[in-house]
Amino acid sequence: MARGSVSKGGLGTSAMTGIRSSLARRGQFRFACLAGPGALFIVVALLLPLLAIVVFSFWRTESYELYADWNLDNYRVLLGEPAYRIFFLRSLAMAAAVSFVCLVFAWPIAYFIAKHGGRYRLLLVLLLAAPFFTGVILRITALQGLLGPIGLVNMALAELGIGPVGMLMYTPLAAGLGLFYLFVPFMATAIYLSLANFNFELLEVAKINGARPWRAFVEITWPLNAIGTAIGLVLVFIPCLASALTQRFLGGPNATSLGMSLAQQFGETGTWALGSAMGVFLFLASLAGILVVRRTIDLKRAGFTGALGA
Amino acid sequence: MRNAGTCQQFVKAGTSVPDAVLKLQAIVKRFGTVTAVDRIDLTIERGEFFALLGPSGSGKTTMLRIIAGLERPDEGGVFIGDRDVTALPPYARHVGMVFQNFLLFPHKTAAENIVFPLRMQRLGRAERDERLAWAMSLMRLGGLEDRYPNELSGGQQQRVALARGLISRPALLLLDEPLANLDRELRSEMEVEIRRYQKELELPFIYVTHNQEEALTMSDRIAVMHNGAFEQIGAKTEIYTNPATAFVAGFVGHSNRFEGKLVEISGGLARMAWQGDAMLVPVPRDPRPGGAILFAIKFEDLEIARAPDGVDRTGRNRLAGTLRDVIFKGQTANYIVALGDGSEITISSAPRGLDLRMSEPVIVHWPVARGATFHV
Ligand SMILES: Nc1ncnc2c1ncn2[C@@H]1O[C@H](COP(=O)(O)OP(=O)(O)OP(=O)(O)O)[C@@H](O)[C@H]1O
Ligand SMILES: [Mg+2]
Repeated sequence: MARGSVSKGGLGTSAMTGIRSSLARRGQFRFACLAGPGALFIVVALLLPLLAIVVFSFWRTESYELYADWNLDNYRVLLGEPAYRIFFLRSLAMAAAVSFVCLVFAWPIAYFIAKHGGRYRLLLVLLLAAPFFTGVILRITALQGLLGPIGLVNMALAELGIGPVGMLMYTPLAAGLGLFYLFVPFMATAIYLSLANFNFELLEVAKINGARPWRAFVEITWPLNAIGTAIGLVLVFIPCLASALTQRFLGGPNATSLGMSLAQQFGETGTWALGSAMGVFLFLASLAGILVVRRTIDLKRAGFTGALGA
Repeated sequence: MRNAGTCQQFVKAGTSVPDAVLKLQAIVKRFGTVTAVDRIDLTIERGEFFALLGPSGSGKTTMLRIIAGLERPDEGGVFIGDRDVTALPPYARHVGMVFQNFLLFPHKTAAENIVFPLRMQRLGRAERDERLAWAMSLMRLGGLEDRYPNELSGGQQQRVALARGLISRPALLLLDEPLANLDRELRSEMEVEIRRYQKELELPFIYVTHNQEEALTMSDRIAVMHNGAFEQIGAKTEIYTNPATAFVAGFVGHSNRFEGKLVEISGGLARMAWQGDAMLVPVPRDPRPGGAILFAIKFEDLEIARAPDGVDRTGRNRLAGTLRDVIFKGQTANYIVALGDGSEITISSAPRGLDLRMSEPVIVHWPVARGATFHV
């Protein structure tokens, strides 16, 4: 079409594209309004601190001051020092053990609520969250009262004539119990939410087709709730890996975790740079944990029917 | 033995009764105050296509669940072959079941869904593959082996569900409204196919439906269920032409209903007083002169003619009315006629050769022996 001789049709289409692009702009504007605050929050509250920690981990601290001379010493210390390696392996073992025990306990609880909870389902799920009505410290204190030398458990054992068991408090076992108590609600809720959307009729189909109850569980229930289980595992494993408070109050000297050591770097010793390196390390370990869980789940094999990205 | 593997330990040695595949004895099932199944006796024979027809809530699904072992009856016994399976769990019964909402395993492909029963029976790999190929070709599912259920159309999903129900060659196949979720065209296509599979496999089917046309098209024998009990059980032509109760007459086929009073019985016919008129109708069971009766006659059993007709009056009932509407249905048309009292009746007949105009006076007539009469 020659310039200067714009036909009516040309005018019409250009008007149309104008309207369309203004519509598109309005759509973008709405999207920005809706998604913007959330995205901003994520950037400010999560990504910036993370970035700061990554930066600090390559710096140096001397007598409670941060110096911006770039180096890898922190990582060298972290990977070279046997004590830190032990702390990390301890944290890892603790997180794995607690995740596993949570899994074994949470499944039956969640299953029972989803299957037989009837109209009390919501109430029962809220009960799962009851420990969260108090703070972390209070819950740990309650556990101290339970497990301590003159705690409920020991008193009960004394009544039964078994005598007080000294090794309950301030052991890795006590720390593990504490973590289990803190995190089993997360696991149970994640699995429950998955089971709440599970069609239990599929189990009847499996049974009619010759599957015994256990086989039906393995073939149907478990794979179709693998995503919920995986979310539960992640929700328990990651905070456990970084956990410090529980070990500190319940664990005694043999339960010192990387998280505890990390807290120390930012507190007593004031070696922020080393602490930051620990944080980065824990972050990467958590990421690795998530990737391992993600890899073991084939979304289609988990009955995921939504649009599949990649 | 077919049902090898996991079921073996439940199979008692002994010969089976040759013809009865399934026997229900005085089955009762209550849910709280509701009696869902009320003393049902039933025998299903080898190779039979049996339809369980009844309105919503009549207990059809409950009965199937009892047969499958998903529900324990409160009273009575379930026998499959010569085994008393009343106390056995579903996985030891060796029956197949197909559900209204298909209930395919969403995380398994079509082929994996279909071989599931064989895997549970620990059948060998070679035989499994052979049976899978057989079922896939029977259900015309070739090429869809690796699709997941959400990648299949409704009809394909239903075929996969049928294949899964059939592949282990169960003692009998239970189908709970398997076509209810399909659109009309697909449904009539599947009706024909399901009947073909059934005849080919000589496998007894118990087919639950609340759609009387489906039951009439597909089955050999029908039980009409109402409030947990059988109203009538028999060959489908028998159910259609000789309804045993007013409920069956109303539920199977399309009928006009006349409520009147039984005046007297003479010459093998009953005289019914209706709207100041008299009709000769078949004699109800246990006739009580003076009692209220209901006369039901199918649309196609009535005939229609232009008003001053030359029809021979002897042996026929006649009602005068005016033509209200003609609903053309293809092979037949429904003529809606308003009677003197303002009520409307419907006559179904071939539309050709009848050029009636709206509001024209007409005569509705039929031989006195037609229809069915019940005390109410
Ligand atoms: N699990 C249950 N708990 C309580 N009542 C039930 C239960 N299952 C069925 N019933 C009741 O038993 C009766 C029969 O139900 P059933 O599901 O067998 O009917 P149906 O003939 O299959 O109906 P539809 O055609 O609607 O599927 C109904 O009144 C129903 O409410
Ligand atoms: Mg039903």
